[in-house]
Formats: sequence, structure tokens, C-alpha cells
Amino acid sequence: MNGILSINLVLSGIYLSTPLLLAAFGGLLSERAGVINIALEGQMLLGAFAGVAAAWWTHSAVLGLLAALAVGALTGLVHAWFSVTLRTDQIVGATAINLLAVGLTSALIQPIWGQPGTSPSVPKFGRIDLPLVQHLPFVGRILDHLSVLDWAALALAPVVWIVLFRTPFGLRLRGCGENPEATASVGIDVVRVRYQAVILSGLLAAAGGAYLSLVQVGVFQREMTQGRGFIALAAMIFGKWRPVPVLGACLLFGMADAFQVRAQTAGVHLPHELLIALPYVVALAALATFVGRSSAPAAVGRAYVKD
Amino acid sequence: MTPLRRRAPIAGLLVALALLAAACGSSSNSSNSADASPTTGAGKDYQWVMVTDQAGLGDQGFNDLAYAGITKSAKDLGGTGKALESSEQAQYVPNLQQAVDDGASLVVGVGFLITDAIVEVAQASPNAHFLSIDNVAADKDGTPLPNVASVTFKENEGAYLAGVIAGLTTKTNKIGFAGGLEIPPVVRFLKGFQAGLKSVNPKATVNVAYVGGFGDAAKTKELAAGYYDDGADIVFEVAGAGGLGAYEEAKARGAGHWVIGTDTCKDALAPDNFLTSATKDVSGAVEREAKAVADGSFKGGVHNLGLAEDSVGVCQKTFGSLPKTIQDAVTKATADIKSGAITVPAQ
Repeated sequence: MNGILSINLVLSGIYLSTPLLLAAFGGLLSERAGVINIALEGQMLLGAFAGVAAAWWTHSAVLGLLAALAVGALTGLVHAWFSVTLRTDQIVGATAINLLAVGLTSALIQPIWGQPGTSPSVPKFGRIDLPLVQHLPFVGRILDHLSVLDWAALALAPVVWIVLFRTPFGLRLRGCGENPEATASVGIDVVRVRYQAVILSGLLAAAGGAYLSLVQVGVFQREMTQGRGFIALAAMIFGKWRPVPVLGACLLFGMADAFQVRAQTAGVHLPHELLIALPYVVALAALATFVGRSSAPAAVGRAYVKD
Repeated sequence: MTPLRRRAPIAGLLVALALLAAACGSSSNSSNSADASPTTGAGKDYQWVMVTDQAGLGDQGFNDLAYAGITKSAKDLGGTGKALESSEQAQYVPNLQQAVDDGASLVVGVGFLITDAIVEVAQASPNAHFLSIDNVAADKDGTPLPNVASVTFKENEGAYLAGVIAGLTTKTNKIGFAGGLEIPPVVRFLKGFQAGLKSVNPKATVNVAYVGGFGDAAKTKELAAGYYDDGADIVFEVAGAGGLGAYEEAKARGAGHWVIGTDTCKDALAPDNFLTSATKDVSGAVEREAKAVADGSFKGGVHNLGLAEDSVGVCQKTFGSLPKTIQDAVTKATADIKSGAITVPAQ
């Protein structure tokens, strides 16, 4: 057991939580404004791809990340156009983005890099060196081993909380998600606010994908997000669309995953099928016992029609 | 107000486009059945034809390895070699049938999913010769077809040699096994590896963990990190494309953290950390069957190829840079397995 419960477990848990956090907060912003975003998975994949492609062309991880954010914002724009302007079914439009992401990224690997399935290695983001921090007991080793995107992901909960609950923009955004007609009646442009929220959502999801490709492995691989966008969506619902509980839910998923990985590598005598399912079992158990009913924003999924 | 009805077709069209892109993405070549640069050799009028699976040529895996075997057969035995690419499963039967109609001397089918198509076409054309790679083509009663050579590999024998190398390399006597899913070929790699390891280093232990899939590099990386943190100095990855994560972790930790790969030499992924690979010689298997057709000794049924046929082994490209004692131990183990002095467990 000593081998499992260590500071490295926490670190591994953070690494596994970060992509979920970025995508889940993307989902939260969109849904709080009244637009369901199940395109998170596809937006992550496109972000992971665009990040590696740009980093490969420019030899810069920073430019790679910027390209990923831009592509993410663009996918958000497309989703907003579908669901806010065209008022199509929000699930159908998002599904189209998910399918397009898988097909497009898989098909482009070969023409760009001349090899199928996997891109060559590109520059990655390193750990941020903080002065003196490594001398701190316990947390020093953790704080010293985080990348810029890990920090950004961990900072999202307080930042999003402040934006949502302490700024006029946040109030308008929540209004669009609860009662767009009433929000419009006080002179707020619901279409504009929803566009902003959905674009931000795509940007954050793409950052989650870029974390996998530009921080973790340094290459793009076909379908490398492996369903993390949907796990992020589950974490968002599990966290009841509220910033701090969503942070908790993502960390719970990540930590449970890190724990099962290390339980396996340390040779714990349990069937690996059971261990691999642990994060989901933990989530279900938490949901069934003390979390209680989830309450979505009242107008989520409902198109807004201007009178 | 614009009626929603008028806008629904636009969305429908976009979904259709997305589906189309998804379909294109699943194959690296969308052309129906393109001839991939026929190669001509001297001698007889043989036609060596392979039908790819959806991954197509350029997959740096089975398809490319099989095509290399086709090209070499054309060069060494004469005739022409070509590949018919299938971009979707519905093209397997027409492509195989086309190869038969063109009078192919040997039709090679690559991939697990093409097996059913081979069975269908081979039963309809009993005089044609087929080769099924990595999977057994059998009729409804489970009897292997007489005109199909079904080649499977003894992954456990190559992994045994990798185990010998690991046992003589490890300093901590702790080794991690990172599998994708617990399926028969992965288990064969594991069992052979464990046997080889024990034969030279009884004190060394192997912990076993599975990622849960063959495409998750980020999680494979955390799995490797778990092993290295736990004191292991070698990780044996049988995790498909996701195996890349193990090399990333080893590279980040520096020298003394080794990775053993599968199927092909993967030294390019982490030159300082790559120890060896348990390899499968798909190209050689194709050539072997082509030769059998040429000299009239072709026989259908199951051909389970191992060390004795030089069809499995360890990465030859980096073998020479291993210490002499390890090279000798591998050579001795190879001889013992070939002579039957050692039987490598498969499960």
C-alpha cells in the first residue's frame, strides 16, 4: 500500500484531472448560458490536433497552444451558429462536430506528416520552475511539477466562480440559461451572450485536448482523447453546474483513476477490470448517496426565439 | 420569424458531411482499389496480390509489413506484386474476388476483420491460394479451409527472449508489464516474457497492469510512471499506439529507465531508453507462403510460426549494442527453444 499512497499519486491524479477540468468548465459555461455542449469530445480532439500541427510547423509549443485555442473558439462559433442562430437541436449539431473531429483529424495525419495514425514528436510544455517552492514539505514536489495548463485548470474554479457570480457578464450569462425571455426583456442581447459563452466553451475544451498532446505526450494520435470529453460532461453534471463541486468531481475522477493505475502497478491482487472501472464506480456511489438531485439550468437545451 | 423547418435541412446536410468525413477518416486511402506501384521481377508470371484492411498501406504495421513481403516475393520469385486497398469493409469481398479473377498466384488478406471475407471467397474459389495473417480462416464447423494458409505467431517465444534480456538488464529486479487489454495475443506476450525472465533471473518480479484500451497514450504514460515510482527499471508495453506514453515517461526520467516494445523495433521513440522489442515477422511469413506456392509445396491449414521459422524474435537493429553476455544468453535460449529443450508457455 505504501507504494500506492504517495505524493506521486496526487501528482498523477492532477495530470489525469487537468484535461477533464478544462473541458468540464467549458461545458459549464455553455450550459449555464442555456446551450448544451456535448461537442466537448470533438473540440478536445480538434484542439489536440491543431496544437500539434501548429507546434510542428512553428517549432513552438506556445504557438501550438494558441492555435489550439483559436480552433477551439472556432468550433464553439460553429456550435453557437447551429444552436443559437439556426436553432437546430443542440445535441444533433454537437454530434456533427464530434463526428467531424474524428474523421477530419484522422484523415489529415497522413497528408500532413506522411505517416498514418500518429504525428512525429513536437515541442512540449515543460514544468514551471517556481523559486524556493521545492523546499516546501509535501506540496513542494507537487507545485514544482505542474505545467502552465495544470495551473490554469486548477485556477478555473475560483475564476469561473467570480465571473459567474460577481460580474455583470456572469449575471447575464446565467440569466440566458435560466430564463432567456426575461433576460431579453431587460435589454440584454441573449444571442450575443450565448455566442460568447459557447465560444469560450470550445476554447476551454480545446485547451483540454491540447494538454494531452502538448503537455503529456508531445504527439497527436488518432482518437487520442479516448472519451475524456464525455467524462468531463459527466463531471459537470455530477458537480451540478457549480464551479467548486465541478472542481471536486474532476479531481475525484482523476484521483480515482490515478489510484487504480497505481494499485495495478503496485500489484494489488484485484481483477484489473474492477480497478479500471473504479473512477466510474466512485462517481456512481457518490451520486447515489450524498450528492443528491442534479439541477440543470432551467432553459438549458431550449432555443431562444426573439419576439 | 424564420420557420425552423426551413433550417433543418441545412443541419441535416452538415451532419451528413460530418459522417462522410468520418468515413473518409477511417481509411488512409479513399480510392476504391488502387494498384500500388506494381513491381516486376524476372522469371515466371506470378501475381502476388494482397488486400489491405481499412488501415491501408502506410500504417507502419501489418499492412506495410505484408506489402514488403509481397514486393520481396515479386523480386525473388518473379512475377508482379500489388495491393488492393479497401477503404471500407464492404470492399473486402469484391477486392478478394477481383484478385482471384485476375488469376493471382497467392491472395494475401491482412487483418482480423477480413477473415470472414476470405472464408467466403476461398470457399467459392477452391483452386485459388490464400494467406490469412494472424487469424484462422475456418468453415462453419471450425475446420480450417484447405486452400487458405492461416498464419498465426508464437508471440510468447519472441517475448521469452525479451524476458531474457530484461532479466539480465534489470538492476532493481522489478519489471512492469503494461498491456492494452487482456486478450490472447497480449497474454501470450506476457507469459513468454515471464518465463524468459525467470529463466535467467529468478529474483525478478513482474507486476501486471492494463490500460483498458490500445489508444490511450496519456494513461499509459501514468501507468509507466506508477511502475518507475514503484522502483521498476523496465516497462514492457503491449499497449498498441498508446504504448508511446511509456516511451515519453522513460525519456522524461532519463537513462536507466527502460522500455521494451512489441511487433517492430521502436528505438526511434526513445533511443536512450529503448531496450528491445518482441517482434513478429509478417513480411517473412508472406514470403514463406509465396515460396511454397512457387515450389508447389503450398499447404492450407493453420501455420503457427515461431522462433524455429525465424518469424518471431527480438529487435535485430539494436541487438548488437547489447552487452555480449546478454547476446550470448539470447542466442543460447533461441537454440534451446528451436531444439525443443525449452517449451515456452503460451497461457
